[in-house]
Amino acid sequence: MKTGKKLGAGLILAALVMSAAGCGDNETNTASPGSEPAKTPGTSSEKVKIVYSMWGSAAEGNTTQAVADRFNASQDKIEVEVQAIPWENYMTKLNTLATAGQLPDTGMLKEDGVIQWSSEGMLNDVSAMYEGSDSKPLDSLAYKYKGKTVAYAAANEILLLYYNKDMFDKAKVPYPPAALDQAWTWDQFVETAKKLTNDKNGKHPGEDGFDSQSIVQYGASVENLPWQLETWALSNGGGFYSEDGTEVKVGDDASVEAIQRVADLYLKDHVAPLSVGQTDDGIQRTIIAGTVAMATNGQWNVGTSLNTAKEEGLKYGVAVLPYMKDKVTISTGGANVVFSQTKHPKEAMEWLKWYNSEENNWDLISSGIWMPTLDKWYKDETLTRKWVENPNFPPYDEYKSAVVDYAQSSAAKPAAWFYTNYTTDFNTLLGSILGDVWTGKTTAKDAISKNLDALKAAHTGNQ
Amino acid sequence: METINKQQKRRSRIFSAEARVAYICLIPAFLGLIFLTYLPLVGVLGISLTNWTGLKSPVFIGFDNYIKIFTTDPYIKDSIISTIYYAALSVAGSMIYSLFIALLLNRKIPARGFFRAVFYVPYVLPAAAIYVGWSWLYEGNFGFFNYVLSELGLKKILFIADSSFVVPSLSMISVWLAGNLIVIFLAGLQNVPAVYHEAAEVDGAGGWKRFRHITLPCMTPIIFYNLLMSLIANLQVVTPALALTNGGPGNSSRFLTYLMYDQAFVNYKLGYACATTLIIFAILAVFTTLLFRTSGRWIYNEGGDDK
Repeated sequence: MKTGKKLGAGLILAALVMSAAGCGDNETNTASPGSEPAKTPGTSSEKVKIVYSMWGSAAEGNTTQAVADRFNASQDKIEVEVQAIPWENYMTKLNTLATAGQLPDTGMLKEDGVIQWSSEGMLNDVSAMYEGSDSKPLDSLAYKYKGKTVAYAAANEILLLYYNKDMFDKAKVPYPPAALDQAWTWDQFVETAKKLTNDKNGKHPGEDGFDSQSIVQYGASVENLPWQLETWALSNGGGFYSEDGTEVKVGDDASVEAIQRVADLYLKDHVAPLSVGQTDDGIQRTIIAGTVAMATNGQWNVGTSLNTAKEEGLKYGVAVLPYMKDKVTISTGGANVVFSQTKHPKEAMEWLKWYNSEENNWDLISSGIWMPTLDKWYKDETLTRKWVENPNFPPYDEYKSAVVDYAQSSAAKPAAWFYTNYTTDFNTLLGSILGDVWTGKTTAKDAISKNLDALKAAHTGNQ
Repeated sequence: METINKQQKRRSRIFSAEARVAYICLIPAFLGLIFLTYLPLVGVLGISLTNWTGLKSPVFIGFDNYIKIFTTDPYIKDSIISTIYYAALSVAGSMIYSLFIALLLNRKIPARGFFRAVFYVPYVLPAAAIYVGWSWLYEGNFGFFNYVLSELGLKKILFIADSSFVVPSLSMISVWLAGNLIVIFLAGLQNVPAVYHEAAEVDGAGGWKRFRHITLPCMTPIIFYNLLMSLIANLQVVTPALALTNGGPGNSSRFLTYLMYDQAFVNYKLGYACATTLIIFAILAVFTTLLFRTSGRWIYNEGGDDK
């Protein structure tokens, strides 16, 4: 027994020594890269080397590197190297690199990480990026921290109302409006949804003998993931946060009422299927499966699922969202940032500006997954036609009105992560609080007022 | 007396020679344990005392994380309750279910090999496929179970979309997945000496009596092993929350391991997540100790007590 103890103690000691030695090694490792780039500048003939990180597979990395190679060949000052990191580990890897002082010069960043990284001093101000350019990104696509633009979105997305045309035709109900000035009020939306909701005897909600337990087709589905839910709080004159992002407003009557109205689509109006925010496949479950006639969700669905479904015969349309008091849609898009650890912010911005031009992301844009960020694509009709007139998209006039014009209208508001921190903490908590609201076990008012302090704490990062 | 002493000495010499070989052989295992288990564990303890987010260097904050967890954390209470609730249902359910199935499969029934495979298959299916399949069965609006219920004219049950049904629903899946327990029980059942049964039968003992007084006592070590394994596995539950529910509705399936995952890899509060990890560790330790402490009272050991 004694030998055992000694042996054990010896092993632990050895291990500790070794691990301590390991730490020492690490420290010297982290010190070295900082000194390396010092060699790079000097002779003017040598190009400045920029590393750009992106999420994606090695193959996707190669595709982007091919684009970067065109940039490298087009000028003799900057050489860009692409570093692809799998999506699952992307933020973790960047975190590690940041700690080690080895961040790339520039790269993509998840939406909800931009303000956090900015508040920790990890990002450069990029306000100057589009100075003197003929076209700038839409105003709704600038990430702002303390009044400074710290990133532009790499793509644009807005929330829309999708609808299944066959289901409307069958019920002989007119399509939802594609033009913002004809947007439905919430009540019109609910009334239309009732006409499209059938139980197994063909009865609609509100009719005698309607059985809410045997609904075979629903009229509408409003996506209730917390970040999308903010649309309705804003539309009802409330919001999740004050405009500068400093205060929590989700407890305001207008915000609570808006959330309750969304829940009531299922609970009282009987026009919507139950959804408790457990999955993120709203459009597949509704419009494509043919179970729901209208559904709200992001523009990216045009390219991620609806284009394939369209080829297979689905007839769908796009429309602007209904509204409660104000007409609102939310725009968002992952960010391209310049890290503050870079020694070459100017060159990094030059690369980003070149790379962000739509021609370089044409596959994603022409398939309908991304929308362009630069305003010329929205304002110049030849460019808009170049973008939209292809078989992946709904008819030009409809998409132009319900998406292109909608995205550049005053209704398009940036998602909360463009201007405030800790949105993930806040949204996770809000999602968990609202779990029993969707099933009617509690009301939005009770659930939110009971947890308002926790929500406020989450918003300040002190949860 | 002397001879005995001599004998003891010789024995201890043999022991120490044996012991040396044993220790040498154990070194690889020790190294693995130390570097892959114990040192990281110490690391977790260390990180749990910091506010590390991965971005800036960690700052030592003492027990702040633990204080926060037990005072202001909006999830931890629900999380502990739902984890224990889930583990209790799953362990009880899968133990009873798999012992029952094992007893059936141990009888001379036709196509026994086929049925043994049938009950084991769920265990080897890929988890993602299983959960997608069950999500279609459980779906609250048009899911298969609800289709059956509404055809029968009954009220719909929301299953995983309802905070009071989600844990039992997920436990059902876990019970259904208990193929490995069945196999271990089967192996144990085949080791129950047939002579006992024969003798009891001659004495006129019926099926239930033989099960109660022969099979069950002989099986207690196997039951203990399965109980322990399934308890630990179920207290660490995370897959159904990741695959099916995102911890919802509300916090009703926000199991501890899922909570920790969320803190560490979604919100990047690594220090805080490490503190949660140690709380999970403590809970596991309490339950495992309880199980071991009470085991002496009900385990029948054929080889005698060799403590």
